[in-house]
Amino acid sequence: MATETLTPQSIYGQVKKAGLTRSQKRTLTFYTLVLPWIIGFIFLSVFPLVVGLLTSFTNYDGLNLETIKFVGTRNYARAFDDADVSFSLMRTVLWGLLNLPLWLVVSFTLALILNQDVRGRGIFRTIFYLPSLIPATAAITAWRIILERNFGMLNNFISLFTPEPIAIGWLSDYSLQGMTGVALWGGLGSGMIIFLAGLQGIPDELKEAARIDGANGLQVFRHITLPLMTPVIFFQLVLGLIGAFQQLNLPLLFTRVGIASASVPPRPIYLYMIHTWSQIMDQGRYGYGTALLWMLFIGILILTGIVFWSEKYWVYTGATEEGGK
Amino acid sequence: MDAQRSGWLMKRISRFLGYLILILTSLVLIAPVFFMVVSSFKVDAEYLSFPIRIFPKIAQWQNYKLVFTMTPFAKIALRTALLAISTATITAFVSSMVGYAFARYNVPGSKRLFGIVVAMLIVPFIVILIPQFILYSKLKLTNTYWPWILGALGGSPFYIFMFRQFFLGFPKELEDAAEVDGCGPFGIYWRIFLPNAKPVFATVMIFATNSVWGDYLTPLLYLSNSKTLLGVALTTAFRNPQGIEIKTVTLAASVLYIVPLIITFFLAQKHILKGVVTSGLKG
Repeated sequence: MATETLTPQSIYGQVKKAGLTRSQKRTLTFYTLVLPWIIGFIFLSVFPLVVGLLTSFTNYDGLNLETIKFVGTRNYARAFDDADVSFSLMRTVLWGLLNLPLWLVVSFTLALILNQDVRGRGIFRTIFYLPSLIPATAAITAWRIILERNFGMLNNFISLFTPEPIAIGWLSDYSLQGMTGVALWGGLGSGMIIFLAGLQGIPDELKEAARIDGANGLQVFRHITLPLMTPVIFFQLVLGLIGAFQQLNLPLLFTRVGIASASVPPRPIYLYMIHTWSQIMDQGRYGYGTALLWMLFIGILILTGIVFWSEKYWVYTGATEEGGK
Repeated sequence: MDAQRSGWLMKRISRFLGYLILILTSLVLIAPVFFMVVSSFKVDAEYLSFPIRIFPKIAQWQNYKLVFTMTPFAKIALRTALLAISTATITAFVSSMVGYAFARYNVPGSKRLFGIVVAMLIVPFIVILIPQFILYSKLKLTNTYWPWILGALGGSPFYIFMFRQFFLGFPKELEDAAEVDGCGPFGIYWRIFLPNAKPVFATVMIFATNSVWGDYLTPLLYLSNSKTLLGVALTTAFRNPQGIEIKTVTLAASVLYIVPLIITFFLAQKHILKGVVTSGLKG
């Protein structure tokens, strides 16, 4: 074989003799390389999802497999009668409505300002990113100094401007607003970085050209920057939406750390996932809890579907269609 | 001329407003960290008081001593760090390998599989986390660290995505040359792609380490108090004999908890920003 001259045909022939064509070999290599992920995907994602789905049709209590019974769709029907489900769902929607637009607008604004050639840009960027580094547990221990009802720093500060000292319960009656503050504080940095990356991808020539044509700053923003940023806004909106609906960590920490080890979250932050969590962890209603999880899953899929459907109305995709880079 | 002048004025005003927003936002964002640090030096009676005293009368360094004597803080921190770093290392290697395969192999089924990776980005993790817990508890793997390690071995869709986006930009000639030199597919990944992916690798390492170090939910779900990680220990450990939390000691522990994160961020800041910019969005 070594004496054969190397032509493409002969190489092909040799590979063929080994039993596999080059493209078959490449296929095999590809699947070998992605195997760890495939195994993980099957056993750690698909399998739990299916087990969760199956559990949702039973009365499983987390302990006894002997007494487990198939109950059909009873758990799902029950959710519609559970007043706490509709209440917590409303709170979750409210949480998303308060939190998401605020986060998008503020982090986009900060990115826009930092995209100008401001002095000390690196320092500001670092400061804005800093809170994103701080884990929620530590963040809450710091934030309760600010949000505490009596003598908390925020109420102290507001009282400077009011005739009487005020005592707003940012950790209790107004915990939804308090929690929005914490979430916004922790999320601005990562939001801003993504927007900044998007802004830096907008070619300067486009803005230059618009300016030469007589557009002012606002017009450049309205007609160049904003349309070109819609894919990034879309991306952030999808991830933010999913994050808002599965929020569990913050209300849990607000309860256990914020108001010194309360066992039940204050009603304003009794979010959907808190209700689900307490059904499973506190009440041992695994069947019902997993049904609630699957309803959340389907709900999020529908919402994401709607956002994806709306994409064609407001997200700019022109550049790729016209074959530009 | 007049229009030019007013344009100039507008520019000055918007510039000033820009700085004002930046500085005010910075102050608001730093405030919680600032209060956390100063209050960690207070005695509990001073924690909140009226009228406000921002600084402690006498700096209570002993709060920091109490952190280590009230709990085996050093031991828990070491355990958390070891678990975080090993999990991150595994996840970064696996994700980079899978990301390389998705970036370079266009074979039957590869597109569809990548579609699944992207779809997994929008599957709410909480919907998987709780059934996973049910499974692990049936396998008697709760109260061990296996759930972390096993989870890492499969890589993570988000990091796979990042690596794939980054590797897409690599010149084709590079691997052709390596192939001619007799490098196998794994060799190309190991000797050419991986060494050139340092910014993304560093970013993924830091994200993944921090996510274990800062996690509250998973250790709460899986581990008993004697085995738990720092995120949970912080919320339960610092109590007086009556069971009432000593808030200023918790704060001192919180400061110690975030210091390593801030130091690594400053050391790797350039890499992180580059990593996010070059891989997070393109495509």
